[in-house]
Amino acid sequence: MKTSATHEPALLYVIAWLVLVLLTAFNIGTAFLGLGVYGPVVQFGIAATQAAIIFILFMRLKGPPSLKWIFAGAGFFWLLFLYGLSTTDYATRQGWPS
Amino acid sequence: MRSLHPEIQYATLSQQGETAQLGMWVFIATETLFFGALIFTYFVCRDAYPKEFAEAGKDTVLWCGSVNIGLLLTSSLTMVLAIDAAADGRRRHLRYWLLATAALGIAFVGVKGFEWYLDFAHHDVPSIDFILKPAEAPAGELFWVFYFVATPLHALHLLIGLGLIFYMLWRVRRGDLSPAYFAPLEVVGLYWSFVDTVWIFLFPAIYLVGRS
Repeated sequence: MKTSATHEPALLYVIAWLVLVLLTAFNIGTAFLGLGVYGPVVQFGIAATQAAIIFILFMRLKGPPSLKWIFAGAGFFWLLFLYGLSTTDYATRQGWPS
Repeated sequence: MRSLHPEIQYATLSQQGETAQLGMWVFIATETLFFGALIFTYFVCRDAYPKEFAEAGKDTVLWCGSVNIGLLLTSSLTMVLAIDAAADGRRRHLRYWLLATAALGIAFVGVKGFEWYLDFAHHDVPSIDFILKPAEAPAGELFWVFYFVATPLHALHLLIGLGLIFYMLWRVRRGDLSPAYFAPLEVVGLYWSFVDTVWIFLFPAIYLVGRS
């Protein structure tokens, strides 16, 4: 009895790796485009895409047991609270930075 | 090859393996909050001092960060190939892929160490040898404080991961892992790829700010 019933073909992992490397190259390129305030949005958006590829394929969220999604999602769920409430604080704080 | 039986609290090896994986996901959730809070602090400071962060960010060594993200992405690939080799019972391939993963991790630490040396030579180490460049005044040191908190913390995680890989190599040699049960390797693989993911977020925060 295996802990993972089946695994993806190696070619899929190699393609995912290529996409990750290309996204990294693209991300480095955006730093020189002068995107202004949109720069961090694009760069961290690309980082989030890369993280999603790693979580789903390399960390095998795709596949059984599906309960993994609950456990993996819990961290980001609580992170959302942390970011949401902290942002509320800093956005409404007077005189920051002092 | 050793005969395999589940621990007494589990009905099957499959249940034992799934429980181990879920345990690592719980740990990863706590690590997400840990590094998430650190990166939030970065955003707050960057929002408060955008000019200083951009100027300080220009002094980071982009090629070191870029090479290192390439090394870690490749190591995540070799790690997942090692897990597949374990699942298929290809022991020789398993050892090779694990050794490749360890070599890539060691290369990361080497590049990182060299980069810290360059930072030191450039007087960018807060409290030890720091000279505030006029363009970075008054808050540029904050960026370097973040840098020297985040990157050693990440490197520490990576060194722990390297220790776990060598422990897995020892277990492979002992014949502990088989197609019937390779959950310990899957758990180490989860940890390793998570450490890779942390660097993916540190990369734009450290190296891409202020380049344009």
